[in-house]
Amino acid sequence: MVGGNVAAMKKTNPSFLNGVPELLVLRLLSSREMYGYQIVEEIRIRTGAALSFGEGCIYPYLHYLEAEKQVSSQRREVDGRNRNYYKLAARGRKRLEELTSEWNRVTAGVAQLMGVQHA
Amino acid sequence: MRDFIGTLRLRLVELGCPITHVRRMVREVADHREDLEQAAVSEGLSGADAEARADALLGDPLVLAEHLMTALRRSSWWGRHHIVAFCLLPLLAYPILWALLLLCQMALGFALGYGWDLKKLHVAVNNPVTFYHLSMVFQCTDYVAIALVALLFCWLARRSAVSLKWMAISCAICSLAAVITYAKIGPHSFSVGFSMNNHLHMPWFRGAIPLLVAGAVHVFQRRTARRFPEKIAV
Repeated sequence: MVGGNVAAMKKTNPSFLNGVPELLVLRLLSSREMYGYQIVEEIRIRTGAALSFGEGCIYPYLHYLEAEKQVSSQRREVDGRNRNYYKLAARGRKRLEELTSEWNRVTAGVAQLMGVQHA
Repeated sequence: MRDFIGTLRLRLVELGCPITHVRRMVREVADHREDLEQAAVSEGLSGADAEARADALLGDPLVLAEHLMTALRRSSWWGRHHIVAFCLLPLLAYPILWALLLLCQMALGFALGYGWDLKKLHVAVNNPVTFYHLSMVFQCTDYVAIALVALLFCWLARRSAVSLKWMAISCAICSLAAVITYAKIGPHSFSVGFSMNNHLHMPWFRGAIPLLVAGAVHVFQRRTARRFPEKIAV
């Protein structure tokens, strides 16, 4: 029964559950270009460790976003270390706007419901 | 360092990941591991403890390799749509690609052998000995066209990092298509088409070509996988 409900939810609104990591990564990259370790650390620190990416899991995700042309990467040497820096591409910026508006809509709806229940 | 990164690299190669992607993925994970180690050392851990912590945080390299490969497969249209790309498309695209390649090769042969001169070609085909040789060349051209189409699907399968199964399926479909298509040449005629009873010389060999190509690509892939760890170091 629970499985059926989850499946139904995913079918009607897949981004409700799956879009959060994408939103976080795109949001972080919208301010400056970053490398994988930095992104994981930033998410952990800025969410007060409430959310965290598995250390290795960020790379499949970044590669996927790059293939979707939402981010671009460049290998550069900074402070004697060579790293792949990721930055937001035009398509990623557009996707970020979509995800942000979707996120705001969902959180507003949830907040409204919670407010009604508390009242 | 060698154990975690070495295991990851080997697993990626075993899973059929293209070498350029292996290099990049391994390099990034190695950078990340170094960052984790540095962070642990700055917290006061010893070198060995820092290394162990970095490994623990990164998790199982075999699982990580699977995640990386899944992302790679999902990143291409071919990787996302296996059935359409490696079952349906070979069936639909094979006759077109094969006929095009055949015509291109014939045009190239005509240009190189006879300098686009139709009179020279007429003289050649009216001579039984020359025509016999030309028909042999034509047959080889047909085989090359079949092999090239199969090779194209093998290349797409390899590039999109899908499993060997999909490469084999696409080549099996090419094989079936090769059996039911034919190309014939006469002194003053040329025809291509579909037929279940085409009376070609060695029709089974046409069908075997895509399977031989798939086998050769698989052997090449395995040899690369065996040699790769010694060739590349992070």
